[in-house]
Amino acid sequence: MARNKYDVDEQLETPFDFGHLKRSFKYIKKYRGKMILSLAISILAAIAGLIGPLITQRALDVTIPKGRIAELVGLAALLLGCTLLSVVLGNIRSRIMTVVGQNIIFDIREDLFEHLQKLPFTYYDDRPHGKILIRVINYVNSVSDMLSNGIINFIMEILNMVFILIFMLIVDVRLTLVALSGLPLFMALMFAIKKHQRKAWQDVSNKSSNMNAYLQENIVGARITQVFTREEENAGIYDKLNTSYRKSWMKAVRLSNLVWPTTDNISTLVRAAMFAVGLLVLPAGTASLGTLAAMTGYASRFWQPIMSLSNILNNFINNIAYLERIFETLDEPVTVSDKEGAEDIGEISGQVSFNDVTFAYEEDNNVIEHVSFDVKAGESVALVGPTGAGKSTIVSLISRFYNLTKGSITVDGKDISEVTLKSLRSQMGIMLQDSFIFSGTILDNIRYGKLDAKDSEVVKAAKTVCADQFITLMEDGYETQVNERGSKLSGGEKQLISFARTLLSDPKILVLDEATSSIDAKTEALLQQGIAELLKGRTSFIIAHRLSTIRNCDRIMYIDEKGIAESGTHDELMEKKGAYYALYTSQSA
Amino acid sequence: MFQLRWLWKNMKGSRAAYIAALFLSIACNVMYITSPYFQSKIIDTFISNDNALENLKNQKSLLWWLLVGMVGFTLLRTVLQYACNMYYETASQGMIYRVRTHLFRKIENQDMDFYDRYRTGDLMTRLTGDLDMVRHMVSWVIKGCVESIALFTASMVYFFSIDVRTAFCILAMTPAIFIVTRKFSKRAGPAYRKVREASSSLNTAAQENISGNRVVKAFAREDYEIEKFREKDEQYRTANIKAAKVWLRYQPMIDFAAGSLAVILLLAGGIFMIKQHLTMGQYVAISGLLWAVSNPMRNMGNYVNDFFRFMASAGKIIEIYYEAPKIIDRSDAKEDEERLKGDIEFKNVSYSIKGKPILKDLNFKINAGEHVVIMGATGSGKTSLINLIPRFYECTEGTVLVDGTDVRRHKLHTLRKNISIATQDVLLYSDTIDSNIAFGDSELEEEYVKRCAELAAASEFIEKLPMKYETIVGERGVGLSGGQKQRISLARALAVRPSVLILDDTTSAVDMETESFIQQSLDKKLDFPCTKIVIAQRISSSKNADKIIILEDGRISDIGTHEELIQREGYYRQIYELQSGINCAAEESGVRA
Repeated sequence: MARNKYDVDEQLETPFDFGHLKRSFKYIKKYRGKMILSLAISILAAIAGLIGPLITQRALDVTIPKGRIAELVGLAALLLGCTLLSVVLGNIRSRIMTVVGQNIIFDIREDLFEHLQKLPFTYYDDRPHGKILIRVINYVNSVSDMLSNGIINFIMEILNMVFILIFMLIVDVRLTLVALSGLPLFMALMFAIKKHQRKAWQDVSNKSSNMNAYLQENIVGARITQVFTREEENAGIYDKLNTSYRKSWMKAVRLSNLVWPTTDNISTLVRAAMFAVGLLVLPAGTASLGTLAAMTGYASRFWQPIMSLSNILNNFINNIAYLERIFETLDEPVTVSDKEGAEDIGEISGQVSFNDVTFAYEEDNNVIEHVSFDVKAGESVALVGPTGAGKSTIVSLISRFYNLTKGSITVDGKDISEVTLKSLRSQMGIMLQDSFIFSGTILDNIRYGKLDAKDSEVVKAAKTVCADQFITLMEDGYETQVNERGSKLSGGEKQLISFARTLLSDPKILVLDEATSSIDAKTEALLQQGIAELLKGRTSFIIAHRLSTIRNCDRIMYIDEKGIAESGTHDELMEKKGAYYALYTSQSA
Repeated sequence: MFQLRWLWKNMKGSRAAYIAALFLSIACNVMYITSPYFQSKIIDTFISNDNALENLKNQKSLLWWLLVGMVGFTLLRTVLQYACNMYYETASQGMIYRVRTHLFRKIENQDMDFYDRYRTGDLMTRLTGDLDMVRHMVSWVIKGCVESIALFTASMVYFFSIDVRTAFCILAMTPAIFIVTRKFSKRAGPAYRKVREASSSLNTAAQENISGNRVVKAFAREDYEIEKFREKDEQYRTANIKAAKVWLRYQPMIDFAAGSLAVILLLAGGIFMIKQHLTMGQYVAISGLLWAVSNPMRNMGNYVNDFFRFMASAGKIIEIYYEAPKIIDRSDAKEDEERLKGDIEFKNVSYSIKGKPILKDLNFKINAGEHVVIMGATGSGKTSLINLIPRFYECTEGTVLVDGTDVRRHKLHTLRKNISIATQDVLLYSDTIDSNIAFGDSELEEEYVKRCAELAAASEFIEKLPMKYETIVGERGVGLSGGQKQRISLARALAVRPSVLILDDTTSAVDMETESFIQQSLDKKLDFPCTKIVIAQRISSSKNADKIIILEDGRISDIGTHEELIQREGYYRQIYELQSGINCAAEESGVRA
C-alpha cells in the first residue's frame, strides 16, 4: 500500500502540457464577459498611450520652433487628458480583474473542498494532512494571478507583438527578417530551459509540501514531542526538510532567472545585427537611413513584448506546478459515492442484514470474510472479541464508509450501495473511538449532531450523558471555547461531548465504538441508564471491552478470525462455554 | 518599524550577500540607463548625421566597436543582474530558513496553554503565507525600493546637470507621491490585517475539516462543512477585494502624478525652449530618460502597498517569534545524573487554572519501582496530577519532588527524558511503526523495538500487517483500531526505558486478556528499574498495584492497596462493587461453578 509520509515526495504521473491551462479555462469561462471587457479596456488604454508620442512630435516639430505658446498649452492639456484617460482605464481594469481573480480562486477552492468532502477515509489515511491543507489554501492562492491578469497580459503582449510586426513588415521586409532571426534561437533556448524549469518547480512544490506536512504534524503532536524530549531531533528533521526546500527553490530560480537575461541579450544581438546588415551588408541606399532608424526603434519595441511574454510564461510554468497538484486532487477518484439514480432511503426502521460480506482494506488481506447476519429493527447487538479482530470494520461498513469486496449489506431491505449516502448516514449515529473536537464552543460541538437544535435540546442531551455537570463547572459553561488539541478537556470529557453529539442527532441506528472507554466507572454506571434510554426504539451496535456494559444486549457476537465465531444472548453464550465464556470468566476472575 | 529591525536581525549570515545584492542592483540600474548610449551613438553618427554616409566609409571600425560594445555591455549588465538576483534569492532564502527553523523550535517548546491559544490552522498560516510575505519583502519589495530610488536619483542628477529649471519642474511632482502614500498608509494597515485574519480562519476551517473528516462523514455533515467553508472563503475573498480596493483608490493618483511628468516636461520644456533657455538636444535627452523618473514613482506605490501586507504578516510571525514558554530551566537547576531513580513525592501540592482550583493539597510518596494506580471520576484531576511530574504544568502551591529534589530544580530535559507518558489521546506520526515506536530514541535497535512491541502486546498484530514494522501508519494512526494504537503508544513509552512510566488510561480500548498480559510485562518483564504510575478506570488494573490513590474533586480521598481499600466505605469500594457486579450476576445465574 502506497502510503505517503512527510519525507516522501508525491509522484506525479501526468506529463506537462498546456492541458492544465486549458482545463483551467473552465474556471475562467464564467468570467469571460468581464475578461473580454478588461481586454477591450486594455486595448483602449494602449491606444490612448499611443497618442502621447504624436502630441510630443507635433509640439517639437511645429509648435515650439514657431513659438506658439497657446498651442503648446493646448497640446499639454490634450496630453494631460490622454494620461488621465489611460490612468482611469487602467484603474477600471484593475478593479474588474481583482474581483475576477478572487472569484476564480474562490471557485477552484470551492470545487476542491467539495471534492475533498466526497473522498473516502482512505484518502485522508494515506497521506499527511498537511499535504492536503496546503493544496486547499496556498496552492490555490498562488494560481490566482496567473488565471486572471496573467491571461489578459498574455493576450495584450501577443497583440502588441503582432501590431509591431505588421508595422515592421510595412517598413522593410528584409530588416524584419533580420529582427525575426533571433526568434528561433530564443525559442530553442526557452525550450531547453523550460524542460528543466518545470521539473525544478515541481520539486519545489513537493519539498514545500513535505516541509509543511511535517510542520503540521509537529504542531498537532507538540506534546508528544515534549513527552519524549524529541525537540532537538525533530527540529533537526525539520531543518533537513527546510534545507532541501531551500535547495530546490534555489535550483528553480537559478533556471527561472535565466529567462530574462537570455531574452535581453538576444534582443540586443538582433538590434546590433540590424545595424550591421542595414549599414554594411545591404547595398548602400536600398535601406534608407530613415527606414533604418525607424526599424531599430521598432525592433526594440518588438522584443519588449517578447520579454514580457517570456516573463509571463515563466510565471505560468512555476504556477502550473501548483495547478497540476490541484487538478490531481480534483481527479482523485471518489470510490464511495452515490450510484447513478440512487434513491433516498426514506425513513428507516433500522433493520440491518449482512449477506456474505467480505471486506479488505488492501487487496488480498481480508479483514472479514463471508459474514452474514440479520438484525431486527430495535435490536441491540454487542460486538466483542480481541482488538483488531474487525469489530470496528464491521460497524463502519454499515455506514458505507468503505465499499465491500464481496456480498451486500441491506438496511430495511435496501442495498446500501443503491441509496444515497446522505440519507443513509444522516439516520445513523456513530460514536467513534476518537472523539474529534472542533474549535468553537462546547455548545457548537454538541450541536454538530443536529444543527438546528435549540440550546435547551443541547443541554438536555448533555444531561442525559452526564456531561452537564462538568460543562457547567467550566469557565464559561456551554460557551467555553475549546479546540482540537486543547488541554481544556480530558479524554473522558471529550468522549462525553461526542456522546451528547451523537445522542442529539437522534439516529435510527446507533453505533457505539468503545464509546465509554475513557470514562470513569462511576460516570459510566450513571451513563448506562442514559444509554438504556437511548437504545429504546433504535437498532444499536455496541463495541466494548468491559463486558459489564453489554451484558444486557439482545445479542452478543464474538468476532474473531475474520468472522463471527459465536452469536447469541449472554446466557446462551455462557451455556456454550466457548470463546465468550472464556473472555467473560477471565474478566470476572 | 519594529518589523524591519526584526528583519535585519534575522538577516544575520545573509547580510553580506544582501548588501552586495543591493549595490549590484544599483549598479545594474545605472548601467541600464546608460546602455542606450551605444545605440544612440550609432544613430547619431551613422544614420541621422548629415555626414552619415561619409562617416560610414571612414569610420567603419568605430561602427564595429560600437556594435561590439552594445552587445558586450548588455551581456555584462545581464550577467551582473543575474548575479544580483541570485544574491537576493540566496539572502532571502537564508533569512527565511533562519526564521522558519526558529519558529519551529518556538512552537515545539511552548507550554501547554500555548496550544490552547493558537489553532493549528492559524500556526500553519503564519509559517506558510505570512512567511512568504516576509520573503517577498526581502527579495522583492526592498530590492524594488532601492532600485527605484537609485534610478530616480541618478536620472534626477542627470536632469539637473542638463538644466536646473526643467529638473526642478519635474521634481515638483514628487511630493504628491508622499502625500498620497501617507494617506493610503492609514487605511492599508487595517485592511491587510483583516485579510490576514480571514486567511487564518480559512486555514483553520480547512485544517479542522481534514483532521475531522471521520466525524464529518459519520454525521453526513458534508453540506454543512461546505457551507461553513464557503462562508470563510467568502470572507477571505471579500477582505482581499476590499484591501485591493483601498489600494486601487490611491493607485490612480500616483499613476496620474507619474504620468503627468510628461505633460510638465512638454509644457515647461516647451516654454523654456521657446524662450531659448533649453536646446532641442537637451529636451530630447531629458525626455528620453523620463521613464527612469516616472516608473520609480509608479512602482513606489506598489511597494508601499506590499509593504503594508508585509507589516501585517510580519506582526503575526513576530508574535510567535518572541513567544517564550514560562516553564524553563531555572538558573539554580542542578546537574543531574543521566538516570533518575524514580522516587516521587507530592508535598502540599495545589494546582489551579485561572484561579479555579483543580488539585488541592496533595500529599503522597511513591518509591522507586512501585506500581501506583490513580483512580477518580472524569474531571477529578488525574491527568493534571501526572502532568505536574514532568512539569508540563507548574503547581501553584507546594512542591513536587523527584528523587528528593524539587522538579523545578531539575534540568527540564533530564526530567522529561526520564519520564515517559503514554498519553490518553494517542497521536502517532505518519511514519513507519518502527519509527513510531523508536520515537523517543531513533537510534534504537530493531531488536529492541520488537521487544517493546512484545511487552506492549503489539507484536502479534504488527507481524500480521503486510509490511510488518515497516508499515506506514497514517497521521493519528488512522487505519489502526483504538486498542492497536494504544499498544503502539505503550511500546513507544517503554522504548525509552524510563525511570518513571506514566500510563494515562492507555489500556482503555484494549481487551481484558491483553490488558492483563500488559500488566504482567510491566511488573515482571521490564529490563530496567521503573516507577509505574497508571491512570485507570478498571479494578482489574488496580488489583495488583502497590498503592492506589483515589482522587475526588481534586483531593486525595484515600490511599491504600486494593485489599485495604475494599475494606473501607468509599469511592473505590463503590467502583469495585459496580464492576464486580459481573461476578455477582454470574454467580446468580449459576454459570460459574
